[in-house]
Amino acid sequence: MSVLLLIGMIFGFSPQSQDTLVLAEVEVYAPALDRFTQGQKIQSYSKTELQNYQGRSLGDLLQETSPIFIRQYGAGMLASPSFRGTSAGHTAIFWNGLPINSPSLGQSDLSILPVVGIDQVAIHFGNGGALFGNEAIGGSIHLDTKATFGKGFRGNFTQQIGSFGQFNSTLKASFSTEKFSGETRIYRESAQNDFTYKDLGQAGTPEVSAANSAFLQDGFVQDLAWNLNASSQLKTSLWYNNTDREIQPVMGSNTNDKQKDESIRLAVDYFYFGKKSIFNLKTGLVRDNQVFNQSINITSQYFLSGDWDAALSSKWNLKTGIRLNLTQGNLSTYYATDQRIETYQSLRFEPLEKVRVSLNLRQLAYLDQVEPFIPSLGTDWDFWKNSKHQLSLKTSISKGIKVPTLNDRFWEPGGNPDLLPERSRSGEMGLNWIKTGEINVENSLTYYRMNVVNWIIWLPRGSFWSPENIREVRNQGFEYQGHASKTIAAWNIRANWSYTWSRAVSTKGIGENDPSVGRQLPYTPEHQANGKLTIESKDFSAFLGTFFVGERRVTVDGQRQMPAYQLLNLGFSYTKLSWGSVNVPISFQINNLLNTDYQVLYLRAMPGRSYQFTISIQL
Amino acid sequence: MKFKLNQLSWVLVLSLLLFSCDNSGSERPLGEYETGILIMNEGAFGSNDGEVYHLDPVSGTLKSDIFEAANTRPFAGLLEDMILEGDRLFLVANTGKVEIVNAGDFKSLGAVSSDLDIPRSLAVAGSKLFISDYGPYDNNYNTPDSYIAVVQGLNGGPIKKKIEVSNKPEDLFVSGKYVFVAGSEEGKVEIIDAENETIFKTLEVLGSPKQFFLEAGVLWLYSTGDDEIYFQSFRLDNLTKTNLITLPLADATGRITFNEDGTIYILTSSGFPNYEDAVAKVSIVNSTFDAEWIKGSGFYGIGFDNKLELLYVANAKGFQGNGTVTVYRENAQVDSQLTVGRGPSGFLVY
Repeated sequence: MSVLLLIGMIFGFSPQSQDTLVLAEVEVYAPALDRFTQGQKIQSYSKTELQNYQGRSLGDLLQETSPIFIRQYGAGMLASPSFRGTSAGHTAIFWNGLPINSPSLGQSDLSILPVVGIDQVAIHFGNGGALFGNEAIGGSIHLDTKATFGKGFRGNFTQQIGSFGQFNSTLKASFSTEKFSGETRIYRESAQNDFTYKDLGQAGTPEVSAANSAFLQDGFVQDLAWNLNASSQLKTSLWYNNTDREIQPVMGSNTNDKQKDESIRLAVDYFYFGKKSIFNLKTGLVRDNQVFNQSINITSQYFLSGDWDAALSSKWNLKTGIRLNLTQGNLSTYYATDQRIETYQSLRFEPLEKVRVSLNLRQLAYLDQVEPFIPSLGTDWDFWKNSKHQLSLKTSISKGIKVPTLNDRFWEPGGNPDLLPERSRSGEMGLNWIKTGEINVENSLTYYRMNVVNWIIWLPRGSFWSPENIREVRNQGFEYQGHASKTIAAWNIRANWSYTWSRAVSTKGIGENDPSVGRQLPYTPEHQANGKLTIESKDFSAFLGTFFVGERRVTVDGQRQMPAYQLLNLGFSYTKLSWGSVNVPISFQINNLLNTDYQVLYLRAMPGRSYQFTISIQL
Repeated sequence: MKFKLNQLSWVLVLSLLLFSCDNSGSERPLGEYETGILIMNEGAFGSNDGEVYHLDPVSGTLKSDIFEAANTRPFAGLLEDMILEGDRLFLVANTGKVEIVNAGDFKSLGAVSSDLDIPRSLAVAGSKLFISDYGPYDNNYNTPDSYIAVVQGLNGGPIKKKIEVSNKPEDLFVSGKYVFVAGSEEGKVEIIDAENETIFKTLEVLGSPKQFFLEAGVLWLYSTGDDEIYFQSFRLDNLTKTNLITLPLADATGRITFNEDGTIYILTSSGFPNYEDAVAKVSIVNSTFDAEWIKGSGFYGIGFDNKLELLYVANAKGFQGNGTVTVYRENAQVDSQLTVGRGPSGFLVY
C-alpha cells in the first residue's frame, strides 16, 4: 500500500490528504504517460474496455475505436498503422516501456499483437521524439500488463467460438499477497478464415471461400512483482507469442505463402521510491523470429535503461535518464548490428494552478551518428474552470525522428548505408471541454500540422530496389472526440464518438515533375469516424459500435479510389450466470453486422458478418 | 516486350489494308481496340493493379483501364505480356493467370486461371495454347521447375500438360508444328513438337535468350550477355542454328522493339550505383550502332509505331503511382508525353 501512497504524494495523483486516503487496490507502479505530455493528446483504454476485443487483435481495436487508420491485408493478415497520415514505420509501439517495433522492418504487425496478452492500451498522439524516441512521429502506442496485490488466488478460463472456424481459449491464473503478485496467462487463438467473398480476379466474379488464410496463434504472458520493502519494488514481465499464418493471396494471385512470427519479450524493472523521487532501473529484450516460407529473419534487441523522476518542488518536476540498446539482426540476406545510446530530460513546471508546461529533450547516438537535439514543448491551460465545467487549451510543438531501419541500410542487394534519418516537426493545438453533472460530457478538438522530410522510399534501381530519402510530406488534420455518460435508474449509458480529417500531401517527390506532389498519399483516408453506444447495468451490458473509413487512393496520382465503408458491431454480455460459487459470464458479439462487402486495400478480401460467442469460468 | 507483333506485323498490316480496302461486306469490321496502340501497364507487386490503356496516336485520345471498362471487373494481376492472335488478345499475368479477350472490344472470352505459377508468355499452335511459366519459387527463390503449360482450346480452360523445360522460359515462337522456347536462364532454345507435346530438340545459344523475331523471313533470337548482345538466327526447315551476330552493348535488358527499316531499339539499364538507363539503337542488317541514343532513368518499356515512325518509351516512375510514356521522333526529339497506368512496360502497336 505504501508504494502507491508515495506516488500519490509525490505526483499529486490523489489530492486527498494522506490520512483520508483509502485505496481499494494497490497497484504496481507504472509511469503515467501523461506526466510530461502537456499540450498533446492521450487516449487510453481500460481493462474493461478491452474486454470486447478479447480474441481480436490490437489492429482491430485501433481501427474501430481510434483515429488511426489500419492498413489490413485481410482477416488476421498484416495490419500496419497509419497515424495522422504517416507511414507504418512512423508509429512507435511500446510494451511495458520497451520499444517493440521490428528493428529490421521498423514497424509492427498489429494483427499479431493479441489483445488477450495486454491489460492496458494508451495512444499518444503526435510527435514524441523527445519523450519516446525513435519512430514516434505520427504517434506512439503503449501496451502494458498490470499486476495487482493482495487479491489471493484467482482463476479464469475463457472459451470463444466464432464464425470461420474461430476457436480461442485463454487460461488465466493469478496469485497475490501484499508483497507478491504473480499472474500467468496462456492463450491459443485459431481461425480457418474460410469466409466467402466475391472474387474479382476471376471471370464471372464468383463467390469463393477464402483459401490459404488460416491463422493460429498461441503464447503466454508471465507477470511477477515483488514489493521488496516499503520503498522498492521488482517487476518482471515475459511475453511469448507465436503466430503461424497462411498468407491470404491478393485477388488474382494464387500464392501459397506461409509465415511464422515468434516473439519473446522480457522486461525487468526495479523501482526505488525515495522521499520525493523514483529511481527506475530497467532491462529487457525483444527477440523476433520471422520465417516467411523458408526465409528466416531474426532480430534481437537488448535494453538497459535507468531514470530518475523527481519532484524538485511543488511546481517543478524533473525526469532524466539514459537508455542503451544493442540490436542484432540476422536476416535472410545480411547480418548487422546497431548500438544506440539515448539520454533524455523532461521538465514540468506549474507556474500557476491552472497552467502546466513541459519541456522534453532527447539526445540519440546510433552507429557513428549523433542526433543532439530532439525537443518538445507543450502547455496545458485550464482557462475556464468551475464546479461543472472545465475548458482547457493544449498547445505543443515537437520534433520527431526515424532512424533508417536495418533493412533500409543493409539489405542485400539494395540497402543504402548513406540514408539520413527521416525527420518531422509538428505543432498542435487542442481544446478540451469537460462538463460534469447529470450528463457527463467531454469534447476535444485538436488541430495538428506536421512536416516530414527525408521520407524513405524504395525505388527500382536496375535489377533491384533501393531506398532513398526522397519524399517530403505535409500533414495536417482535425481530430474531434467526444464522450457522454448518464445514469438512468440502474442503467449507465455511455456514448463515444470521433471524427478525423487528415490531409497528408506530398510536397516533394521523385524528380521535379513528380505528379504526386500536391496530392494525398496513397491509402490515407481523409475522413474517418467512429462511434459506440454502451448501456450497462450491474449484470448486463450491450453495445453498438460503428466505424467509417473514407475513400483512399491506391496510388498517389492514380484514378483508382477505394470506396468508403462503414461497419457495425453489436455485442451483449451477461455476467450474473453462476454455478455454485463459480461465475460464468457469457457474451455474444456480431462483427460486420450488415454483412458489408468491403476492402481496406485493393483486392484484399475481407470477411462479411461474423459471430463470436464467449463463455468464461471464473474462480 | 515480347509481342508476337513483329512476326505478325506484315500479315497484320496486309490484312488491315485488305480490310480497309474491302468494302464488299463479309469481313469483320475492326473493333475499337484493334487500331492505334495498346499500352501495357504491369501494375505493382502486391497490388495486382495491372491494366491496359488504349491510345489513338492520331487524335491523342487515351483510354484508361480498358479491361475493367469492358468487363466491369478489374484485371487483378501483374500484366507480363500481351499476345495478339487473330481476333483474340491474350493477357498474361505473372501472378498466375491468362485472360483471353476479344481484341476488338476487350470483352472476356475465357481464361486460364488455375495451376499456373509465374506465366511469362504465350503462343498459339493450332488449337492449343502454349504458356511459358517459371514454375514455383523454391526456398532460395530459384525456379528449378519451369515448364510450358499446354491448354487445349483457344479460349482457355484447364491445363492439359506441363512440359518441363530449362529454367525461366520467356518468349515463344511458333513455326508450323514446332514451338520455340527462349530458355533465359540456361541459354537454351527448346523446340517443342506441338502435336505430341514433347521436347523435340534442344539447342545451346550464347547469352540469356529473351525474344524471337522475324527479319526478312528469317527467325532470329535476341539474347543478352554481360557486355554484349547476341542475335542468333535459325533455319526453320531443319531446326538448326545458322548465323550469330554479336554486338558490344552492355547492360542490355530484354526490352526490344523493331523499326521496319532494320533498326532495333533496346533498353539498357546500368543498375547500381548510377542507375542510368538508355535506349540503344542497333541493327543486324546495317552498321547502325548507338549505345546511348536516348538517355534517362526509369525506362521500363519500349515500342515502335512504324506507321507514324514514332518511338514510345515507358517510364515506371518507381511504381509509386502513374507511369509516363514519352514519344520520340526518329531524330530522338521528344514529340509528346502521356501519363499512363502503373508500371508501363510495353506496347502493342497495330
